[in-house]
Formats: sequence, C-alpha cells, structure tokens
Amino acid sequence: MKITTSAAVAAPREHVFSALNDRGVLRRCIPGCEELTDVDEETFAVKLKLGVAGIKGKYAGTATRQDLLPPESFTFALDGKGKTGFVRGTAAVRIETQGEASRIDCEADVQIGGAIAAVGSRLIGAVARKLTRDFFRELADAIGAPPDVSDQNEIDALPDPGRDERLE
Amino acid sequence: MYPAPFEYLRPATIDEAIALLVTHGEDAKILAGGHSLIPAMKLRLAQPRYIVDIGRIRGMSHIRETAGRIVVGAMATHDAIERSALLREKCPLLPETAGHIGDVQVRNKGTIGGSLAHADPAGDWPAAVLALDADIELAGPRGRRTVKADGFFVDLLTTATAPDEVLVEIRVPITSAKVAYEKTEQKASGFAIAGVAVVVEQGGVRVGVTGVAAKAYRAKAVERALAGQSAPTAEGIARAAALAAERVEALGDIHASPEYRLHLAEVNTARALRRAYGN
Amino acid sequence: MSAQAKKYSGQPLKRIEDPRLIKGIGTYTDDLRLPGLLHVAFVRSPHAHARVTSIDTSVAKAIKGVVAVLTGADVNEKCGVVPCAAAIPDLKLPKHTVLAGDRVYFVGHPVVVVVADDAYAARDGVDAVEVEYDPLPVVVNPEEAIKPGATLTHPDLGTNVAFTHNVNGGTDIDEAFRRADRVIKQRVYHQRLTPMPIEPRAVVASYHAGEGTMSIWSSTQVPHYLRTLLPGMIGVAENKLRIVAPEVGGGFGAKLNVYAEEALCGHLAMRLGAPVKWAESRRENATSTIHGRDQIGYYEVAVKNDGTILGLKARTIADLGSYCQLLTPAVPTLTGLVLTGCYRIPAVKMEIVGVYTHKMATDAYRGAGRPEATYLIERLMDLVAKELGLDRVDLRLKHFPAPTEFPFGTACGVTYDSGNYQGALEKARQLADWKALMSERTAARKSGRLFGVGVSTYVEICAIGPSAAMPAGGWEWGCVRVEISGKVTAITGTSPHGQGQETSFAQIVADQLGVSIEDVVVMHGDTAVAHYGRDTYGSRATVIGGTALVMCTDKIIAKAKIFAAHLLKVAPDQVAFADGQFSAPGAEKTLSLAAIAGEAYVAKNLPPGLEPGLEASSFFEIPNFTFPFGTHIVAVEIDRETGQVAIQKYVAVDDCGPQINPLLVEGQVQGGIAHSIGQALFEQTVYDENGQLLTGEFMDYAMPRATDIPEYILGHTVTPSPTNPLGIKGVGEAGTIGATPAVANAVIDALESLGVTHLDMPLTPERVWRAIHQRTVATV
Repeated sequence: MKITTSAAVAAPREHVFSALNDRGVLRRCIPGCEELTDVDEETFAVKLKLGVAGIKGKYAGTATRQDLLPPESFTFALDGKGKTGFVRGTAAVRIETQGEASRIDCEADVQIGGAIAAVGSRLIGAVARKLTRDFFRELADAIGAPPDVSDQNEIDALPDPGRDERLE
Repeated sequence: MYPAPFEYLRPATIDEAIALLVTHGEDAKILAGGHSLIPAMKLRLAQPRYIVDIGRIRGMSHIRETAGRIVVGAMATHDAIERSALLREKCPLLPETAGHIGDVQVRNKGTIGGSLAHADPAGDWPAAVLALDADIELAGPRGRRTVKADGFFVDLLTTATAPDEVLVEIRVPITSAKVAYEKTEQKASGFAIAGVAVVVEQGGVRVGVTGVAAKAYRAKAVERALAGQSAPTAEGIARAAALAAERVEALGDIHASPEYRLHLAEVNTARALRRAYGN
Repeated sequence: MSAQAKKYSGQPLKRIEDPRLIKGIGTYTDDLRLPGLLHVAFVRSPHAHARVTSIDTSVAKAIKGVVAVLTGADVNEKCGVVPCAAAIPDLKLPKHTVLAGDRVYFVGHPVVVVVADDAYAARDGVDAVEVEYDPLPVVVNPEEAIKPGATLTHPDLGTNVAFTHNVNGGTDIDEAFRRADRVIKQRVYHQRLTPMPIEPRAVVASYHAGEGTMSIWSSTQVPHYLRTLLPGMIGVAENKLRIVAPEVGGGFGAKLNVYAEEALCGHLAMRLGAPVKWAESRRENATSTIHGRDQIGYYEVAVKNDGTILGLKARTIADLGSYCQLLTPAVPTLTGLVLTGCYRIPAVKMEIVGVYTHKMATDAYRGAGRPEATYLIERLMDLVAKELGLDRVDLRLKHFPAPTEFPFGTACGVTYDSGNYQGALEKARQLADWKALMSERTAARKSGRLFGVGVSTYVEICAIGPSAAMPAGGWEWGCVRVEISGKVTAITGTSPHGQGQETSFAQIVADQLGVSIEDVVVMHGDTAVAHYGRDTYGSRATVIGGTALVMCTDKIIAKAKIFAAHLLKVAPDQVAFADGQFSAPGAEKTLSLAAIAGEAYVAKNLPPGLEPGLEASSFFEIPNFTFPFGTHIVAVEIDRETGQVAIQKYVAVDDCGPQINPLLVEGQVQGGIAHSIGQALFEQTVYDENGQLLTGEFMDYAMPRATDIPEYILGHTVTPSPTNPLGIKGVGEAGTIGATPAVANAVIDALESLGVTHLDMPLTPERVWRAIHQRTVATV
C-alpha cells in the first residue's frame, strides 16, 4: 500500500529536518507512542498503542534511518508487529522550502498483514491517513509552527477489482 | 471468535453509566446494540477491559414529538425507527434510512445512538442526521450538552463525544415528505459505498453524504447551488449534484475505488434531490 | 429392478431431515460434548512466505487452562503428511506437513497448535505464542510465477510448475486451424472463489487407549476417504478407526478433503490422552479451507465463415495455491473433459499448467472443472456468433449432436450417455417467451436502455465416477435390512450434507419394497454403520448410491420370494411381488414383507438351505459418467449511471433424467443458480500483491443474498441415462455450471451497443461502470 501525505509547516526546512530526526520530537509526535528507545545511531525501537476509537492494538517495532541527505530528505525503514497484524515498509521524507515555510512530502510504501489486513481492509487506508495527519499536526505543534496539514493525500491502496490487470 | 477477557458492567441509570466511564477511562467501552463492537471483540481487534452495557437503562429508546421537535432516544433500534408511525408522518427520512441498514437481525438489535457514536465512515445514520441538521445530546460528568450533527463527526470512527460521555438522544425537526435517501451498498457488508440523504426545506436543502470519505459530511456546495430555489430544474439539480464530492478525499478499497465513490456520490445526490424535489 | 408401482418416487416430498434442522436440534460436530474434552486453536502465519526464525511458547504454556503448546518440530515427525490423491503423471509435490516447519507458504498456514481446557484459554494461548518471522519474497500471480527467474513458491522444487497436462483429441488440430476462415481468440479469467459453507469445519477426536481405537467426528463430505487416508497419518489402523460425519452444514467441495487439522486432532487425542475439539472460525475458513477455480485461459477457435467450428485450442494456467490438497491438481484437468460443451467440435488441443503460488490451495468447488469449461465454451460461442454476425442460438443448434447420435463420443475423449439438447433449448425458449423477450430487448435498446439476454446451453459430468477414472474406486456401497418388525433400514456409503438423501433414498427403497416411507430409515455418515462408501461429491450420490440400494432391494425381494414360496407351498417362480405383498396363483393368502421378515429372523421354518435374516448389501460400479444438460436464459438490465446489474428474468431448463424428488431437484437447481449468480456478479477471493487475503470475512466476501436472487422460472426435460436402472443423472452441480455463463453473456449482451465483447467476472457494478464509462467517453 502506498500512502502519500503532504504537510506544510511554517518553519525553515533545516528546522523541520532536525525535528524529524530528533527522537524526543518523534516520541511526542508518533501517534500512540508509549516508549521510544535508542538501538543505535540510525535505529530506534518503539512501543505503540495504536488505532482509532475502540479498535486499538499494541505494536512494537523499529525504525531505521537511511539515505540521509540533510536537510533535504531521508527514509525510514519500518518494521512493526502486534497481535492483530504487522506493518513493514519504508517511508521516504522530502522537505522543500516554500517561502518562509517548508513543505514535507512523505511517501510510504508499506505492507500490512494479519487480521487487520484480512478484516479491516476497507478502513486501513483511512486509518493510515488519520495517523499521518495526527503526526504532522503534532510536529507542527512541536516546532511551534501553526499547523497546516494539507488534505491533498492520496491512497493508492488495495488491488482494485476494476483495475487489476489480471482481471482485464 | 473468542474475545479477550473483559468485565461486564450493567448500570441502571445514565449517571451510573457516566460514573463507570469516569472510573475506567479509556479501558471502558459502551455496549449499545453491539453490532459493531461485538464482532470487533470476537476478532480481538477491540479488547476493552470493561464493557458498560447501557441496554437496561430505562428511558433511552423513546421516539416522540416534544415542543415541535422529534426526539429519538439513543437506544431506539433501527427497526423501531423504521416502523414508527410518528416518524413516517413527521420525519420520514429516518424510517427510510433505517430500512437501508444491514438486515432484519441487525435492525432488530442495532441502535441509532450506537451507530452514531461508532461513526463508521460507511454507516447510514450519519448522512440522515447531517441532512436533518440534528442536535445530538451528550451526557457526561459535567452535565449535558448538545452538539450539532455538522460538528459531531470529527474523523474516522471519531466523534465529538468525550470518553466519559454517553450519547443519550437525537433531536430533529419535523419535515415535509420532501426527503430522500439514495444509497449504493457494498455488496458483502451492506454498508454504504455512497449514501446521500436530502432534506428539502423552505428556501433550501441540506445534503448529507456517507461512505465516500473518512467521515460523513454535509455537501454544502450542493446546498449553496440550490439555495433559495423551491423547484429547481433538472439541469439545476444535475449542476448542483456535480458538486457533491467537490474537494473530497475519497476512500478506496477492493469494493470501490475513490473514483467510483466520487462518481456515485454525484449520481446518488442527483437521484435523492430529484426524488425529494419531486422532479 | 422390480416392476413396482412408484408411490413415492417422482413426488415432491418435503425433506425428512428438515424438522430437526429447523428446530435447531440437529447435532453438528461443534455440538458434541465429551467428558474431559480439550479445545484446540492454531497460531497461523500472517505472512504469505517467511522463514520461521524462532517460536517462544513459554508464556502461552503458563496460561491457566493451557494443556499443551506444540510446534511443527513436536508433531511433524509423528504425524504423516497431508495427502494428495490426484493421479497426475510427473506431479511435483511439496512435502505438506501438518504444521509448518521452518517456513510458511500462505497466510493462514498453521504454525503452532494450542490445546486448553476451554476455548477461551486456547485462544488466549494463541495470542501468547511469540513467533518471529523473516519475510521472504512472495509470488501470487500464476502468470508471473511461470516466467523465468520468478520467485519460487517452494524453492526446493526448483520450479513453480506442478504439472503440465495435455489433452489432444479428435482430428488433427493444425489441419483444423489451416482450414479456418478465421481464428477467434479470447483470454478468460475464472476468478478465485471461497466456498463458504454455512458451517465451517470442525473436528472432535477421541482415543480409547485400552482398545487402541480412535473415533473422529468431522464436518466432512468424505468420512470413508478419511478412514482410508488418516491411518497413514496418525498410525491407527483402518479397522480401529471410526469416522463420523454428523450433521454437516454444507460442503460445496470444501469438505471433500483430508485436512491437517483432522489428522492433528487425532494425533493430539492420542498424545494427550483426552478427547479434543477444534471448531474453525469464519476467518480461518476463509484463509485455510480450500478455495475454488482461479484459472486463466487463452483460447482460440478455428471457424469457417458459415459458423462451422473446426477446432479449439486452449492454454489454461491453473493457480493451485501453495500446496496440493486431496484433489487440487485433478480439478483443472476435469475442465479438459467437457471443453467442447454440447457441441460437435472435431479437434481439441488443450494444455493445462498447474502453478504453485503463495496462497491457500484451490480444490474442488461446486462444479469443479465443469463450470470453467462451460463458462469458456459458452462465452466463445457468443464471441463466434458476434464476430461472424450469426444468431447465437442458431450457432448452438448447428453444433448440437442429434438425439439419435447418442452415445456421442467427443474430441475430449468422453462419451456422452444420452441427450436431447434441442429439446431443452426449445423448452427454455418457450418458458422465456423468447420472441417477446427479444422484442423487449429491441425496444429497450431503441430507448437507450442497456438490456441484455444471455443464453447458455450446457452439458456436465455427474455420477463421478467409473472406477477406471478415479484414483481409488468410484463405486458405491449400500445395505438394506428388513428388520424383524418389518421396519426397513437402508444404509448408504454416500455422505449427504444437505442433499436430502434421507428423503430421496427412503422414496426409492419404500417404492422398491412396497412399504410405507415412514417405515424406512436411511443411515449414513458413520463408518461404523456404513462400512464402505465413496461418499458425496461430483453429483454422484443419488445415481450411484441410489442404484446400490436398488440392487440391495432386488436381492431382498429375491430372497423373500424363496421364503414366500416355502410358506405358501408353491414353487419360487410362481411367487409374484407387488405393493409389498407376495402372492402366488392358487395360494390361500398373500404375505407381507413384514410377515416374511418375522419368519426370516424367528427362523423356525426356514426354506432348506436358506440363511436366516433379510438383509443384503451391494456395490454398484457405474459403466460411465452421466451427462446431464440444459439451457439457461437470463435477461438483465444495467443501470447506466452506476453499472448495477438487475436480473429481470431467469429461466432454467435442466435435464437430469427421471426425478426421484422434484422438490429436491428444484432446491439443488435454485441453490446452484444462486452460487452462479454470486460468481458472475459479486464473489471473488482477493489477495493483495503481498499475498495478504483481503476477503477474510463476510464483510468483504460478497455472497449473494435472497434479495439478489430473482424468481426463477424452472422447467425440465427428461432424458433417461442408460448407465443405471433408475435412468437418473444427478443434479447437485448443474445450476452452478449452467448459470454462470448465462448471466455473464446477458451482461455482455447488454453492453453490446458500446462495443464490449468480453468482461471478466465478477461483473461488479464498478467493473461494468468502467466498461460503460470508458466506451462512452471513447465514442463521444
């Protein structure tokens, strides 16, 4: 599943970049983050209580920073699992200067499996979007900038029966 | 199909229910009709530690007319709403919408309050209460408050209801018969791929859309396009309906792509408008 | 067969088995409560392909109530592999252990088994097991899987191709294509389906350590297959193993199998010294019970301009999933048996490639192979008619063999037993009011409506099957006993699970013996009672099992006549039997069957040399398959704005030979058509590109509902089969076979004006809308 999210934060991109690479900021911004511990320079481990409304699950996982190009871009390799499923994949982050502010483009390509994939597929895309939105809202707040989370999100999610090439 | 362990609590009054919610915080979950919560628990996607069953609280399933308004208790079942002679006469959108929900078994047990509080993005009730501009009454430790339907649906499965509040009642205006609910259902679940509720009133129209986006919404661009018209033309309706999904970020799944959902929002809006206006 | 007046056969009697089911007092496997019963639950893989790097069971074992937590390392050496009985030459078979070893190959693959003293503790135990996986590359698309360098489903096999099966029949195929004026080609995808019986699987196993005997109750179609195949897995000899299929809530082929869970439950009962139960959840049923269909086909038809079909070439890629279950690789080969449908097509060449992917195994699902073949040939007939500008009904009629040409040998190598395809087609057109329907179609189109009519003429294979065509016997066994009281017990080796044979077999036996149907009890599904059997699948039970019972009653009547002659003091050849009474010219009295039964068991006045008792058993071996046929006609209208398909008219004429119980026949046809409408319009099992199953519940797997099903107009023609004394053909799958192409053809006919010639199933509103939308946009 690919999830593309954009957000604008009223702060210079160096500022945004360092915030996104600051584990204290991440701990605060990652939705449902209960614990964030350092594994090494590039990798940290998280424990999350994640979900929406009553549908919540506990997840544990790691994020490893790759392809660091300050202050422009970097990628997180994500690997997490819980009792109701797992998430694996990458999230590529690009930060561009737009006048006084910065525009953050995040392109996540993740594989979701387990019960949440089998019985929750109709909601997964929307949940993912909500969580990324929450993340950027918190980020803006952490940086001290007014939030301006764009709604120009795109979900190119599940095999679409109308467009599955096997079926055409 | 075996839920995780939980403790079952059965308050006798709304105040008792609130007290339990205050005590147990986010570990508690209200059980109304149970038609979303129990399946999620059986799959262990939801594992609340406390279940607060409000099904035995008296006086929560009324359907009546009070002071020129229609009042529906949160625990009124979809079936009771569908069959209500009062609603058929004075607020026919509610019975019409109820008839689209699930199947007979679901309608017998499921409740309007439970459905609204769950705020499934494809539930049927959100479209209707938005189009009716309903007042939703919440009771909590700080007393009672009323939230307009328009501000009630916050996000996916998220409403303005605080964790320690109970949705107690829905109040809607008496309407004419110029209402309609048009729905395309997801074949497997019966949930809405695109459901559009329309209420025509003196000098205007309200349009609620469900199933298309992460939360139900008022199609205000459509409403503005038809404002002040009591008998819009077919072209006018078509032009207005084309705005039904304007700037909406649509959901996509194996049953319907975002593109198809947006298209159906327009089609069902046009159909509901034509029927409501008698056009 | 005796010349009895048929009092019951042919009557639409209500089902004897229904009252207990309707009242909720039938006993299903999950209803069984044995003292000390333990409950079984499985940890299943969330990955389609992964290495299992570690399993920690310590926390699970510490949960109160948990009795055992076992991994593949604990059980795979002690429990034999899951069997595949398909006789396919050079089949490459992965070793299918009951629990995963160090790798998992599909989502839902069982990895760890937890046993506890209640079902909740077992489920808690499942949650507490920690399995670490190292995910590996996944292959889910069978066409990708056969390309060079593709990810391998089972790296140790060295290929994803399990087998290649060739059908070459009739005249020279190359010559046929050389002579053709045109070659019409089409790619057709038959989507993956989930059988979804209303009762998921369930198993109870109980071991008697003193006797060394094992009883296993299973929600299965095939108790006798289990009794034959489980001994090799669990080490209990066949004659110490009893299998019971209690009430079984539907199977549709999904329970025509030997599953890992059945063997494991037997193993656990022995190992733990206590009875165990496993009841499958709906989600497990979706991930880990077999799926159906999933074939991609490339087809070419060689035709003359006058419509004459000279030959048919096909290449089918069958997605087997990650393992071969009992008949997995055999199912696509059945497609090759009726590929030419009802038609005279002189040359056929077909290549079937069975491919492994990281998905659940496919296997027999209602129709198994014949729906694929029928859908294909019926789509092709429409394509040929369209391409050549011919009437599609005339084209079909042109290629039907005449009724006098039966038995009719086909290029696919089978011999159709009997048929009158013209008769069924004509009757269907009458019932559909064909002329009026076609006028309606014309009028609707003139006013811009998308209105279509679909026709399908089908022939299928039932009474599966002659032993020569089966891996291990295609006969059926029966036993009839007239008790001392005169009551009659009929025991069948078939295993009805919704087909209603407690009723139809009682009708047959009551007529044969001239007794009241109330006096007949039909027993089945317990290997301690029905000693031999080949169970229920392939529309075989009434034809083969019913005939075995007729053979038993013939033997009983013959023996009873000797008793009667002795008692009436006449020569045996003077005794006549009619309406349950034995009589002889000049004898003072007649004797009832009950009276003779009494004498036979009291045994104080036996005819010289005759054994006491009045019981007979028989094996019936059928000389050929039976080939029922029929015509379905469907009218649909499509909502241009939404793509929704509404069925306006549904006519089905089926010929299954003489009907024992028309009500049961109608039920089978109705249910079969419902299955077909589901496949044509709604149903599909969806895996994403990572092998995650997205249709794991009824929330996402779209079964047809009562409101989706139109009023059917049903008719029948009756063409007896020469293969059996009852002349019957079987009807369990007919609806599923005839209806799918009729519905699809109707939808595509409705889109004709937009230039649509083919769409793959399911014809969901969005797919149809896209077809309309793209064509509309393109032509504007």
